[in-house]
Amino acid sequence: MYYISAASSITHQPTFQNVGFSAVIEPLRESSVLLNPDYKGFIDAGLLRRMSKILRMSVACAKDCISQAEIEQPGAIIVGTGLGCLLDTEKFLNNVLTIEGLLPPTAFIQSTHNTMAGQISLSIGNHGYNMTHTQNTLSFENALLDAMLLLDEHGDNILVGAADEAIEFLNEISGKLHFQLTHPITSGASFFILSNVKNVNPLACVKDSRAIGLVQHVGSEVHAFLKENELNAEDLDLVLFSGVGGHISGGVEDVFENLGIAENKSHNYLTYSGIYPTTSAFALHLAIDKMKTDKSLRNVLICNTFIQSNLGLTLLQSIEA
Amino acid sequence: MDNLKEDLKNQIIEQLNLEDITPADIADDVLLFDDGGLGLDSIDALELIVLLEKYHGIQVINPEEGKVAFKSINTMAEYIRNRKVE
Repeated sequence: MYYISAASSITHQPTFQNVGFSAVIEPLRESSVLLNPDYKGFIDAGLLRRMSKILRMSVACAKDCISQAEIEQPGAIIVGTGLGCLLDTEKFLNNVLTIEGLLPPTAFIQSTHNTMAGQISLSIGNHGYNMTHTQNTLSFENALLDAMLLLDEHGDNILVGAADEAIEFLNEISGKLHFQLTHPITSGASFFILSNVKNVNPLACVKDSRAIGLVQHVGSEVHAFLKENELNAEDLDLVLFSGVGGHISGGVEDVFENLGIAENKSHNYLTYSGIYPTTSAFALHLAIDKMKTDKSLRNVLICNTFIQSNLGLTLLQSIEA
Repeated sequence: MDNLKEDLKNQIIEQLNLEDITPADIADDVLLFDDGGLGLDSIDALELIVLLEKYHGIQVINPEEGKVAFKSINTMAEYIRNRKVE
């Protein structure tokens, strides 16, 4: 069992430092914008001036988590990102195309995927395990699995999270990325502190997580996952999914119906997060927040079927379960 | 007013994205890489090298030159003037 002792998200919803947000959020509108906090309260001005959106979000969430968990330092920093630091990548590539002679170094340095984990480390002076996972829509699940494996071996209070940022160009290439634009493309970061020790006020437990590529039949995989965790479909109190239809094995809603999960127990979290590759991290925070306010929620399944061939499954349990 | 020094201050603010700093906040003799001054770092040093080529057509080949030239706005202006005479 892996205990979550802190959760922090910056998204297009009022998620940041807002316990109970799940009760007030509404489906995302086309005109929604990223709800940024005042980053100067979290990041030194000397570092802030260089940071793009994704770095600001990540560092602020990381520091918020550390503060919530009341720890000095996390034992490790593990980050998942589907597309990395797109703003700096775009800026650097534009520089390559338009500037003759020397190129400004900052955008290049900060365009790499591991900049988020690196900047978090620099911001808090952490010298522990520092890892970035980038496996498209399963990046967060892989980061979470890494954290769980690390906790099984040693270490404690692992900072694990995910972030992605939107740029206009993504709308042009959404087909190539296999994004079905049923919702607007958005930006978001969600971070958590994971521990194998039950601290004073844990928020919830991660019972298990799975990242499956080249999936053929979602229903069979979900069934097997639940069985391994000694649960039946009817034991699930809530399912948060990211299906967008047209799945190999049929619409994801059909999968849950076939498993006997009532329609009112399953919700498409993309309605609230918008579209980015690591929205399952948003779903985890959404589930935690719902469990905090609704004690009847004991077993929650996050089913990430955002892209047809990828399946991410995360089973969350209440502390009381 | 020395136009070159004023231009340099504006160029540094833009190139280094120095939020909340105006040219008036940068004294001609303030140490650019000192925490008591602008607190610039090694990445900023690279950006200043790019700045000199971009705005003034000057390439800093010898790193030792940069150490002296980038001390302050005064030394940067002096370095630019000397290089343009060569």
